[in-house]
Amino acid sequence: MSSSARAQPPEDPEHALASIRSELARIRTAAGRIERGLAELEAGAAASVRARPRPARYLQVLVDVYDLGGRHGVSLEEWARIGAARGYERRGLGGFFTGVRAPLRHFEGRVVLTVFGERLVDEYLAELP
Amino acid sequence: MSRRELSLVDGDWLQERLEDPELVICEVDERPLIYRVGHIPGAHCLDWRVDLQDPVARDLPDGDSIARLWQRIGLGEHSTVVLYGDQSNWHACFAYWLFKLYGVEDLRILDGGRQAWVRQGRPLNREAVPESGRAARVPAAIGERYRARWRDVLAAVEHGTQLLDVRTTAEYRGEVLAEAGYADEGAQRSGHIPGALNVPWDIALDEDGLLLDEDQLRVRLAARGVDLEAPAITYCRIGERSAHTWFVLHELLGVEARNYDGSWVEWGSMIGMPIATGEQPG
Repeated sequence: MSSSARAQPPEDPEHALASIRSELARIRTAAGRIERGLAELEAGAAASVRARPRPARYLQVLVDVYDLGGRHGVSLEEWARIGAARGYERRGLGGFFTGVRAPLRHFEGRVVLTVFGERLVDEYLAELP
Repeated sequence: MSRRELSLVDGDWLQERLEDPELVICEVDERPLIYRVGHIPGAHCLDWRVDLQDPVARDLPDGDSIARLWQRIGLGEHSTVVLYGDQSNWHACFAYWLFKLYGVEDLRILDGGRQAWVRQGRPLNREAVPESGRAARVPAAIGERYRARWRDVLAAVEHGTQLLDVRTTAEYRGEVLAEAGYADEGAQRSGHIPGALNVPWDIALDEDGLLLDEDQLRVRLAARGVDLEAPAITYCRIGERSAHTWFVLHELLGVEARNYDGSWVEWGSMIGMPIATGEQPG
């Protein structure tokens, strides 16, 4: 094999090796973090989504958003009407959007259910007579 | 009557006819339990997982199952069937397409579905609807005219037939296997069928979930590159959103269209199928 065909060695093999090991360690750390997060999510998914009991009107608000909003959620005006109809003051509606397990989120100027919110709706519906 | 009048009705039309004995109203929801919150008076609940699929194979229900379903809901020779549901009629359109495959012609979709009916403050009740005792129509042999199989789609890829991927842009690009909340509907691979245009199903709707008028539909579809003079095959993830777009194309606009109900869950899981990723059709 001619020398011109051989790959050029790195300028500093020791440095390159250390750099790759460092990169690998970062990837492993990140992978571990992702795995832990995934495990927590899976554990959470297995447990009842309603570990904390919620009042019926809270769940009815979510059903209203599902029923009136379809695939694209409800407008902010409609959201305010839904809340008022179920006895919520405007300030109290903010709680639907906070926390890791918020059942609602804002999307493109509308109010939509999160995946967690959809699961709350499912549990509520399953308990209806 | 126009195509639209023959296949699409609004709340006023339906509310005036709730007592019509020849009208068979069916609610078809993604979440069938929402029917318990209240339904259009007299509406039967069709569970898409139970009533609109084969119970074992991944396929459409056979003729015997359809005959039993029609007996239950009282779908007779002279019936007009009105279908509606949640999620802007995804599954209602699938039922429409399925019933049409089995030979029913007098079918209507309630524009806006359950969402529009509820929003308009129209009557709902929670009364159980008994099984119909009337003689049911006998299903025709299932037709293939409006249905595409994977071999048809493969031929379409090779011959340049128009393919419309009606999923979200993220699904089309291959960034996700399925939308959030549909983890059990993922395929083995992500991406789209080579050559397919991305035409999200909901471009046919206004923000209240009502279908746009014909002129607006033509403009929006043309802007996405759809040739409304050419045959088309629609697909999505499991064939229900694509039934919605099939309804728009075939029933409202008169396009020669077929729905590929195997859709991405089938295509993206089979060995050796061509797949494209990214924004371009490929």
